[in-house]
Amino acid sequence: MTREIFIAHVEREQEALRSFLLALCCGNKGDADDLAQDALVKAYLASAGYQDKGRFRSWLFKIAHNTFLNHKASLRSTESIDEARTLVSNAASDSGFEHQDLYLALRTLPPKERSAITLFYLNGYNIKEIATITDASEDAVKKQLSRGRDKLQEQLKMNNGQ
Amino acid sequence: MDMTKDKALEDLFLAQKPQFKDNADFMASLTKRLDTVEFIKQHQEATIRRYKMMMVAAFVVGIISGAFAIAFVLSTPAEPLFTFSIQSAFLLWIAENSRLIVSTAIALLMTVGTISIIGNVQDILRMRRQLKMDMKHC
Repeated sequence: MTREIFIAHVEREQEALRSFLLALCCGNKGDADDLAQDALVKAYLASAGYQDKGRFRSWLFKIAHNTFLNHKASLRSTESIDEARTLVSNAASDSGFEHQDLYLALRTLPPKERSAITLFYLNGYNIKEIATITDASEDAVKKQLSRGRDKLQEQLKMNNGQ
Repeated sequence: MDMTKDKALEDLFLAQKPQFKDNADFMASLTKRLDTVEFIKQHQEATIRRYKMMMVAAFVVGIISGAFAIAFVLSTPAEPLFTFSIQSAFLLWIAENSRLIVSTAIALLMTVGTISIIGNVQDILRMRRQLKMDMKHC
């Protein structure tokens, strides 16, 4: 894949990729964009081996998902919901401020459940596609989705004071 | 396991879908990063190419100097270059093959010397290029 073709693909897919990473980073736009840039550089370096089968977005999401997991692993910090509650939204994520409840709830999910839920509800992927992107079995994805959904619902209820 | 979509959750996620107003900035930043990646890639490729050339040059010099050494050994009378006063099987073997040993050692030294000279020349050229680049950025 030439650089021009890669750039053309990225221009088409960048919003979907950034939305995905923004949800994974729970509304932190700075982190999400940094991860998106890292993922795109990795994708560019690996693009020589990419065979175009009309699945550029899935391929990109797979790289982004791995980049996110590596980033989380490198942080080695435990983030509690209490920390999330005190999180101050930066200017860049103000557009998502009204959805802070969703981001706070997402923050309570482990990274893999967060990825599965985001890919399922935000990006509209089915279980088989999510399994391919996250390198997990379909059963594992089903479990992640089921657990994640229950936790999210519970957390959203708590946030809404119900 | 029930995998139907939770409508309320789906609506919440869809409503959360952000609008990005800085797409051009994002792409500009990515282009800059890709330029840097390209530069590093080209630099690495050039370094590998130079290294390969250096190895080929050293190999050729080694072969030529080896051939000269063998020719020298074959063209001289088969008398040992040196002898030992102590009688030992090992020292006797060294004395008998002294010409061959000395010639091989010379060929090896020439090869190592060639690699070292080429390496030093490359270092000097790299430093000159770096200096030029630094001066440009000043």
